[in-house]
Amino acid sequence: MSAEFDVEFIERDDRSARFLVRGLTPAFANGIRRAMIADVPTLSIDTVRFIENSSVMFDEMIALRLGLIPLTTPLADYEIGETVTVALDVEGPATAYSGDLTTSDGLVEPADKNIPIIKLNQGQRLEFEADAVLDRGKEHAKHQGGVSVGYRHLQRVEVIGDRGEFDEEEPHILRGVIETEDGELVATDEFDNDLTNRYPGKEVSVTDVPGAFVFHVETDGSLSVEELVDRAAESIGDRAAELKDAVSV
Amino acid sequence: MELRVIDKTDDELRLEIAGEDHTFMNVLKGVLLELEAVSAATYDVNPEQSGGQTDPVLSIKTAGGADPLDVLADAADRVEGQTDAFRDAFAAAA
Repeated sequence: MSAEFDVEFIERDDRSARFLVRGLTPAFANGIRRAMIADVPTLSIDTVRFIENSSVMFDEMIALRLGLIPLTTPLADYEIGETVTVALDVEGPATAYSGDLTTSDGLVEPADKNIPIIKLNQGQRLEFEADAVLDRGKEHAKHQGGVSVGYRHLQRVEVIGDRGEFDEEEPHILRGVIETEDGELVATDEFDNDLTNRYPGKEVSVTDVPGAFVFHVETDGSLSVEELVDRAAESIGDRAAELKDAVSV
Repeated sequence: MELRVIDKTDDELRLEIAGEDHTFMNVLKGVLLELEAVSAATYDVNPEQSGGQTDPVLSIKTAGGADPLDVLADAADRVEGQTDAFRDAFAAAA
């Protein structure tokens, strides 16, 4: 068995992508999906030292909110457990946004600048210094890089004849990506997820294509989709290498 | 990754792999089952009456006189090969 993979992108955005992989086993597809969610580490604020918090919220509540702010993560520069210092100083009347955070590393910054942390009134002030730590989604969901990661089988649609003259016209809802008879890949939202829009008056058969998986990957902005997928595969490969070394002494 | 051999005979192996979960074990099991020399392979993350054992226990039974440890090394090598091939294919498309 030689591993021959074929990857094809169907949709691609800043933070999300849909791509087709052929030649995968279900176990391997699921391993990569799980690794993207739980094993690829990201930076997230974990310890906060408050200097002044005269806002209406307790320190702990603000610390929880801070943890949930995605930070861009240069994975090449950090090992699990390493930290970056983050600071914020905002005085009311104003709203403290994630964009007000300053970091000790220029490559680490809030992935979104417009996440409100807390609204401050006249005379209220929030000042703190915090440590963002690199860890994995397994440890805490705030470290998950992939926020919506899943896959579906690629479905092959074939026209097998005309719809019976007196058959009732029923919608044929399908989600994901289909492969047409001429090998064209079409996302189902292009025809409003209803096959009768694309093949009006036809009778079609829908079958799963073996070994072909359409992944949908969306990140929180801390990593790019490409990096997330690559690191997930790498983490499985690293474990395999470790096991191989351990048993072949 | 810490390994602990629970049982080992000429054609059978039971091995505890500490710190792993379904993510890696299921991939490994899938590859093991594709091998000619393997007649049975499975893993269990919570064996019955184990008193709360949560590290997976891998069981392999081989056929044709193959040493289960060699088979396991072969499977791990294939998993590594597959991930490398996947990363290459993905990088080529990206």
